[in-house]
Amino acid sequence: VHHANHFYGHAHVLAEYCGLDPEHPPRIDGYVQHGWNVVDGLGIGTPYLPGRPIFVWSEQTRRRAWSMGRRQATVIGAPFLYLLRFAAPEPEPATRAGTIWYPFHGWEGQQVKGSHGRQIDEIMATETGPVTFCLYWNEYHNDKIRAEYEKAGRVICHGYRGFQWRDTDIRFLHNQLGELRAHRRVASNRLSSAIFYGAAAGCEPAVYGDPMHLEREDLAVAERIRRQWPELHGKHPEPETARRSALAELGDGYLASPAELRLLLGWSLDRAAVPA
Amino acid sequence: VIRLIGGEMPGWNEDRPPAGGALYGYLTDQLPAGSRVLVAGPHDPALIEALAARTAVTCLVRSQPEAERLDARGLDVLCGTLTKLTDADRWDAVVALDGVGRLCSVEGPQYDWTECLRALRNVLLPGGLLLLTVENELGVHRLVDPAAATVALTDDAWRPLGEFDDSRPGSPARLADRLATEELALDWLGAAWPSPAAPTLVATADALLTGPAGALSAAAASAVASAYADRAVLSDPRRLAAAAVRAGLGPELAPAWLVLARLAPAPPATGAPETATPLRLPPVLLGDGPPAGPLPTGRLLEELLLTACLRHDLPAVRGLLTGWMAAVPDAGPENVVVAGETFTKLDPGVPPRADVLRCFATTLLTGGYAHPWPAATDLRTLTAILHAAAGLPGDQPAIPTDEDPPIPNSRRDQEEQLRSLRRLLADAEARAEVYEQEIAKRDAELTKARVQIAAFGGSFGYRMAKLGYGVARKARQRLRKRA
Repeated sequence: VHHANHFYGHAHVLAEYCGLDPEHPPRIDGYVQHGWNVVDGLGIGTPYLPGRPIFVWSEQTRRRAWSMGRRQATVIGAPFLYLLRFAAPEPEPATRAGTIWYPFHGWEGQQVKGSHGRQIDEIMATETGPVTFCLYWNEYHNDKIRAEYEKAGRVICHGYRGFQWRDTDIRFLHNQLGELRAHRRVASNRLSSAIFYGAAAGCEPAVYGDPMHLEREDLAVAERIRRQWPELHGKHPEPETARRSALAELGDGYLASPAELRLLLGWSLDRAAVPA
Repeated sequence: VIRLIGGEMPGWNEDRPPAGGALYGYLTDQLPAGSRVLVAGPHDPALIEALAARTAVTCLVRSQPEAERLDARGLDVLCGTLTKLTDADRWDAVVALDGVGRLCSVEGPQYDWTECLRALRNVLLPGGLLLLTVENELGVHRLVDPAAATVALTDDAWRPLGEFDDSRPGSPARLADRLATEELALDWLGAAWPSPAAPTLVATADALLTGPAGALSAAAASAVASAYADRAVLSDPRRLAAAAVRAGLGPELAPAWLVLARLAPAPPATGAPETATPLRLPPVLLGDGPPAGPLPTGRLLEELLLTACLRHDLPAVRGLLTGWMAAVPDAGPENVVVAGETFTKLDPGVPPRADVLRCFATTLLTGGYAHPWPAATDLRTLTAILHAAAGLPGDQPAIPTDEDPPIPNSRRDQEEQLRSLRRLLADAEARAEVYEQEIAKRDAELTKARVQIAAFGGSFGYRMAKLGYGVARKARQRLRKRA
């Protein structure tokens, strides 16, 4: 229904889990939550078609969506957890080292404000092992910002999120899982999807440093997030507590079977596949 | 033999069926053989005949045609109104399972509840037994009735007092008090479902308090389910009956109370042996007597499923569906008790069904229950989702097309369906509007694209000719405007 369903290859991961062609996922009968947020699961400005389901990650998000008038919110869990279900298991023994660091990012509509240099200094003073900086495509394609990070460590990008079904890197989450599994810690200056994914992929999560801010950002939300999830904030949060909290946000335990998910997304086998 | 005692109604036939049923049959069977019994008010002839085979029965009825029918069966009959009954004759037991509402005829004084009780007590021998049914004006059957008891609907409602008869006891505790006032000692009191006329479940307050609450609430729900199949009600009596039992309010909200009371015995003559053995009635009666074995412990599957759905607890819903389908896939959720991981049939005698998931989907939809798949608003989709959530193979189960078992036809459910249909319609209209705007936008884009294709498509000569023609047409239009 909406192009955000294809962001980060979410629809493609779900299609693969359901036993369908991951390169050409059929149209989803609703809206898949495309990133962790503290509202109703939909992105800002998504034109919502009344009566269509929103497929949210967690029961907490469903409750929040209900309170905001979204009656059709359905919990399915994060697509990243579905990827963990069918992806090849982590090689044994695990060869993890250092930290993968996700600086708070901007997007087409809003750029990040703050000093990347001071942030890098704090990171290098905190982390003991090698640091991989994973930039969002928005900052990765900014040569000035990328050069600042390249001075301090390895710099990568998982790919392009996609827009209007175009240029989507359908292996985005696969790339991210591979990188996460190569690191012992995952960190950021803001609690975000990447921290939750990292915790689910076996990294010790941490959120610290100057949180920076987006242009025209409402900072009350960022403060609310710090109050609600203190167990995930700090340079060295207790790993087991942090992991439990992260898995709950991703909807661990709520994942549907392939058959159930096909029915929910409108992909039942007796229906003609509709291209996205 | 008919004895007309006065106040009889010559052309009258009762317009509601008399008290009867297997459970009442069990109770009258417990009266000591060989005793003299007065059956007061209309009772099922089968019940009277079974009793008459063991005891000396006298019937008291206000309808003369009924008295004649009883007489034709060879029974001893008193015909007339209760107020004419004297204590010239007394009995070892009085059976009034129809209550006291049909004992006074239209003729003469109209006794209230307590006066009727006193009149019945007055014809008991010392130590005599009274087996009485008392309708609860706040019982589940009243709470869900679309018609008030005070609305005179039938010919026998010449004085429809309903809950305004202040002499009625109103609660089991007050009932015991009223009996004590009349020197009647309470031997046994049971709460009865689904109706005073033909109960199929009776349980004492103690059994309801200490017995397996899950099985007892399920039995209460099941008793009202059969009685109210397809009947118009305000709200679903199954949920009300079960919730009352679970909340410890079973006796207070049961449709009726059955009592076995005993008049104080005469002071024993010196040296005479004590002959009366107290009559012991069981704590629970189900169907036609005490249950065959102990009632299962655990909670009713239907209630657990509804709870998990209302909590949006998907892992719990899936766990229950999976366990159910693995253990007893042919039993409806209203007939399965869950204790830990064990799923057992409550009543193994219920015939197996193939459409139990579809039935539960119907319950969710018609009852308007919140559940984890709110976008599945049609029965087929929701059934298929339940099928998949239960871990059963195949995407689209062949959904049996048999009729759903009849359920109470509740006004509240109808309201909910209306509300839900209005919401679906509003959503569909809003979507149609978005689609129309989208189509208009795309039509405009398509028109523009067609012009561009026409302008840039085709051969060079064709395009030049077309351009020339366009220029010529514009020039002509300009000339015309000037003219």
